[in-house]
Amino acid sequence: MHLHRFEKIWLVFGIGSLVVFMLILGYGAFWKGTHPQSHGQIIDPNNVEAYDAFKPENLGVNKVDDKRYVINVVASAFNYDFGTDKDGNAVKTIRIPKGSNVLFQVTSPDVVHGFNIAGTNVNMMIEPGYVSKMETVLNNPGEYTIVCNEYCGVGHHLMFGTLEVYE
Amino acid sequence: MASETKKNIGDKNEPDLRGTLVSVMFVLAFIVISWFGVLGIFLSR
Repeated sequence: MHLHRFEKIWLVFGIGSLVVFMLILGYGAFWKGTHPQSHGQIIDPNNVEAYDAFKPENLGVNKVDDKRYVINVVASAFNYDFGTDKDGNAVKTIRIPKGSNVLFQVTSPDVVHGFNIAGTNVNMMIEPGYVSKMETVLNNPGEYTIVCNEYCGVGHHLMFGTLEVYE
Repeated sequence: MASETKKNIGDKNEPDLRGTLVSVMFVLAFIVISWFGVLGIFLSR
């Protein structure tokens, strides 16, 4: 097969960049543990409380260790349930100290929702029947909006929460 | 003169791909720069 000299040049560059991209992705996947947020872990959407993390008393911020937190959330139309405070009011703002390692565990009892902490890498699709998990380190202090980025119904635009990372 | 004729015979039907090469390199540069840009955003957050 005869190839023009220029064709050889761009084939080498094209295939070369594909190889570089795949090597970086492979490094992320196999050495750094980057993976999709749903682990295929299933749950009964009609009875999410059967799963320990989603019992009402376990919702919201749970401190596991120094600088280690687990945040359990039930996303339903059109609200993020972060549990209740001491007075029994629904929590709307969750607070985490800077530099903490945080595991988010989110599920939905009704339809598909999104869980995106704007300005961070936390961005998950929340499907009924599945537990979506993502672990991250929050290094930048500030106030972040948690938004639903999957259209979930007429109140979709009202579905948000706040995450505060404090010094 | 003779050698030029010979060269022309060797290059017959060989299209001029200089413009194509430049265009392909522009597309390649765009893809590579965007890819590493997105990777940079992912790593910095």
